[in-house]
Amino acid sequence: MAIHFAGQRTRRAQDLFSLTSIDLFYIDLEVVTSGPCPDTRPDSALPPRKTRPANHMKHIRNFSIIAHIDHGKSTLADRLIQRCNMVTAREFKDQLLDNMDIERERGITIKSQTICMPYRAKDGKMYTLNLVDTPGHVDFSYEVSRALKSCEGALLLIDAAQGVEAQTLANLYLAMENNLEIIPVINKIDLPSADPEMVALQIEEDLGLDMDTVQMCSAKTGQGVDEILEAIVKLLPPPQEGDAAAPLQALIFDASYDPFRGTIISVRIINGTIKPGDTIIFMSNNTSYKVEEVGLFRLRKEPQKSLQAGEVGYILAGVKTVSDTRPGDTITHKDKPCPRALPGFQEVQQVVFSSIYPISTDDYENLATAMEKLKLNDAALTFQKDASSALGFGFRCGFLGLLHLEVIQERLEREFDIPIILTVPSVCYHFFLTDGTMLEVDNPAHFPDPATIASTEEPYIKATIHMPDRYMGAVMTLCMERRGENTRYHYPMPGRIELTCELPLAEVIYDFYDRLKSVTQGYGSFDYELLDYRPSDLVKLDILVNGEKVDALSQLVHRANSRARGLHACEKLKEEIPRQMFKIAIQGAIGGTIVSRTTIAALRKDVTAKCYGGDISRKRKLLEKQKAGKKRMKIVGNVEIPQKAFLAVLKSEQS
Amino acid sequence: MTGPGLYLHIPFCRSKCSYCAFNSVAAQRDTVDAYLDLLARQIEEYAALEWCGGRRFSTLFIGGGTPSLASPAKLAAIITLCRSRFSLADQAEISMEANPDTIGPELLTTLREAGLNRLSIGIQSFNNAILAGINRVHTAEQAIKAFHLARGCGLANINIDLIYGLPHQTMADWQEDLQQILALAPEHLALYELTIEPESPFGRLQAEKALVLPDEDLLADMEEATNTLLSPHYQRYEIANFCRPGRQCRHNINYWLNGSYLGLGAGAVSCLDGLRFTHESDPYRFMSAVEHKTTTIRQAECLSRTARFRESMIMGLRLIDGFNLRKLEKRLDISATEVYGPLLAELNSQGRLLRQGEMIRLAPDWLPVANQVLNTLV
Ligand SMILES: Nc1nc2c(ncn2[C@@H]2O[C@H](COP(=O)(O)OP(=O)(O)OP(=O)(O)O)[C@@H](O)[C@H]2O)c(=O)[nH]1
Ligand code: SF4
Ligand SMILES: [Mg+2]
Repeated sequence: MAIHFAGQRTRRAQDLFSLTSIDLFYIDLEVVTSGPCPDTRPDSALPPRKTRPANHMKHIRNFSIIAHIDHGKSTLADRLIQRCNMVTAREFKDQLLDNMDIERERGITIKSQTICMPYRAKDGKMYTLNLVDTPGHVDFSYEVSRALKSCEGALLLIDAAQGVEAQTLANLYLAMENNLEIIPVINKIDLPSADPEMVALQIEEDLGLDMDTVQMCSAKTGQGVDEILEAIVKLLPPPQEGDAAAPLQALIFDASYDPFRGTIISVRIINGTIKPGDTIIFMSNNTSYKVEEVGLFRLRKEPQKSLQAGEVGYILAGVKTVSDTRPGDTITHKDKPCPRALPGFQEVQQVVFSSIYPISTDDYENLATAMEKLKLNDAALTFQKDASSALGFGFRCGFLGLLHLEVIQERLEREFDIPIILTVPSVCYHFFLTDGTMLEVDNPAHFPDPATIASTEEPYIKATIHMPDRYMGAVMTLCMERRGENTRYHYPMPGRIELTCELPLAEVIYDFYDRLKSVTQGYGSFDYELLDYRPSDLVKLDILVNGEKVDALSQLVHRANSRARGLHACEKLKEEIPRQMFKIAIQGAIGGTIVSRTTIAALRKDVTAKCYGGDISRKRKLLEKQKAGKKRMKIVGNVEIPQKAFLAVLKSEQS
Repeated sequence: MTGPGLYLHIPFCRSKCSYCAFNSVAAQRDTVDAYLDLLARQIEEYAALEWCGGRRFSTLFIGGGTPSLASPAKLAAIITLCRSRFSLADQAEISMEANPDTIGPELLTTLREAGLNRLSIGIQSFNNAILAGINRVHTAEQAIKAFHLARGCGLANINIDLIYGLPHQTMADWQEDLQQILALAPEHLALYELTIEPESPFGRLQAEKALVLPDEDLLADMEEATNTLLSPHYQRYEIANFCRPGRQCRHNINYWLNGSYLGLGAGAVSCLDGLRFTHESDPYRFMSAVEHKTTTIRQAECLSRTARFRESMIMGLRLIDGFNLRKLEKRLDISATEVYGPLLAELNSQGRLLRQGEMIRLAPDWLPVANQVLNTLV
């Protein structure tokens, strides 16, 4: 076997005897990707690659794995990757494609991830499989919809013990909208509680899918995985149209920023061929760049001589202006452009709004660049400049849900190392004023003078909740508490209920998901769509800390709930704000009236009991941790408020 | 004055106390004796090294664990060995830790003869219900008896360790403990607020929220009551340490002034002029390493002057009278301003730190919340 080195040499097996152990370490990685390390070489130095056969497209399969959260998508991806020999035993780890720290910590997929795998099918032919693992959580369904745009088929995974759930349906509909071929896969058949026959019935009756194509597997044990690979090759179509000789038409479906190489652009080539040296333009803004490298997503990026119609890969073109690259845009050649841009992606609708401020005001500029770069990798994030009297300059941002918001917060801190504060999240309200105008307000700071408000509207959603029927009572109560209307339900199969309910969106972002999980002991699942705006009656709840109003803690709430919310906010802040050297009064106020109040007693004791020679290192670390914690606090007036406190106001006791 | 200290660690106890995260495991006397034989080898080995043995040590401290679990003769032999192999000052303070259930006349006389002049008794509480609740293996009566026995054998410098803030402990319980102390009148007292160490049995209980502990206000009240009750009789000279005039523990003062010390035995830490190293902490792996003459050092770091300065600050400010900042600057050849910029002046003007000539100390009202100041200096 020929082995490629970072040093651009090709060595043969017998040369290995002269290698040091460090070299050997690299070889191990290289054999797998059979390409040079990603951070090296001019492209011309690459060893020549095999040219593709003429009927290349026939042997490509582009597909996504879609499912409800936790039904095992990433685990199945692991098995497929292993069957295609993409990874050594040493490199392997569970949920291999979940490569962000935050994904690994939370055990969920947040970003869709593509990997290109060679597969020799039973017919003896080599196929190229482009697999996209997608997230299951409702907040990230836009990731699924974008992933589907690069595919012809989808594996719809269903947990054999859980059956069809809210996002199973939601993601199935997305796949159908994109005219994808669907292979239903019943996963986790190894579980003692698995009931594959029942789930198969659901697939036929509930989902209306063809029973004959259903696959059964355990992504955990690997049972049934070989059959899935064969089904992918047999049942999913190759890229339909597309002509490698036509003018280039490449859809940008994702991007990320690399400080050395500029934007890494993920594309699906619809028509034409792209290769290093080509001059390309982004059709939305006509900026042009020279292609430096194209390649495939193996475990790492693997450079290629070209990418052509039907393929999924990446382009490096030294794009350092972050805003030039936009997911959904079309790339074409400057000298031989395609007649029109591809349709791109539907605009996503942000539902939750919150402002992001750097804890240290010096970080504002850094935060601005970080937001730009993050947006490249997360097209669903929107932001614009904002200012607060308590927190200085920041950004008003739109998110797809509370989890999306938390992810953005963590990514800003981890990937860009900027400690930030997020203000209490809000939805977007309509205020009809006495002068006949309408004001859209997603920021409590812009709450109009109550005297000028003629009427108010708030957004409603239609929630679809799936659960075992024993939780029906608890879920109904929860919906009623949250001002739910028009509750309906039916039994898709014995023992299970699908309930729909119209709810104010504001009630849903206020810890609805956590509460649903807790009242159904984790068995309830939830999906929603925006419905319309309905009349409401809103007031602004302000929070005063030691008599000083903290605008970042203000929220707009329904008048009927205002007192309870005021109390809740005070209690939460009492939990989150650590004792300080003086007593702290926390008050909730509506208009000028105080509706709730708590006090945090002064700190009286904080001292390390014993400290001698031997344990100095440990004791020092404790103090260092305290010191680091202080960096995550915002001083408002003279009170140190921890980062967590701002979001805690919206969380329930349990979470 | 204090000088370099020599510390020996004995990592064995009769059984483990519920709050304890010290490096010790439950064992029988013969294991401890076997360990002492190997420790003796390590003493010989280090004494032969010029950069260790070449120093004149002011103090010797045998800690644990429960050193008194060993045979008296073996312990005496270790003290004698240290005195012959290392250079110990004439008036060297020689201390050992002991638990009440292991203190007997033979132990006391044998060790007195070997040169022991200070005994530290781990009593923790004089309340039998509380003692049982923290899994101590002795009673209050045994503790009192052990104290009188030590006195009777002529030990004129005795320390008692007590803990406050124990599960279910009330203010009245603690005040009774303090009264008992005043009746016994030891020369030295170490009074620790209970710390829940995550790796101790209490740490696990706390994680399960199964521990009922006094709240912060009660703890603060207990600390205040302690100071009020003891101040006519004892001088508080460190956050948790009290003594009769002139009876400070010299070995520990050396730690708080961040002086040099050599630690031998499992898990013992040494710090010699900024070179810090730690021995294998697992007692059995330590023994086997000594036995096979392989190195026992598991961690070593060379501290920068700035790091040493910062450590000296957070240690030294634990002393009620503080320490001589000028001397520290001279010793480390770096100025406080180079390390901290304007921070010390700020803390001074906020009334958190007090300066008096060359001395620096924590303001008395900040002692109960010392970490709030120390965490800016770390
Ligand atoms: N017993 C069993 N457990 C499985 C199987 N497949 C996945 N799991 C477990 O189910 C859990 C969720 O698996 P993931 O692969 O992370 O699920 P996912 O669908 O990617 O989840 P999201 O990306 O968050 O939507 C993990 O604990 C897996 O170990 C299976 O076939 N059998
Ligand atoms: S006697 Fe001391 S070292 Fe031994 S377990 Fe109890 S507290 Fe820990
Ligand atoms: Mg996943």
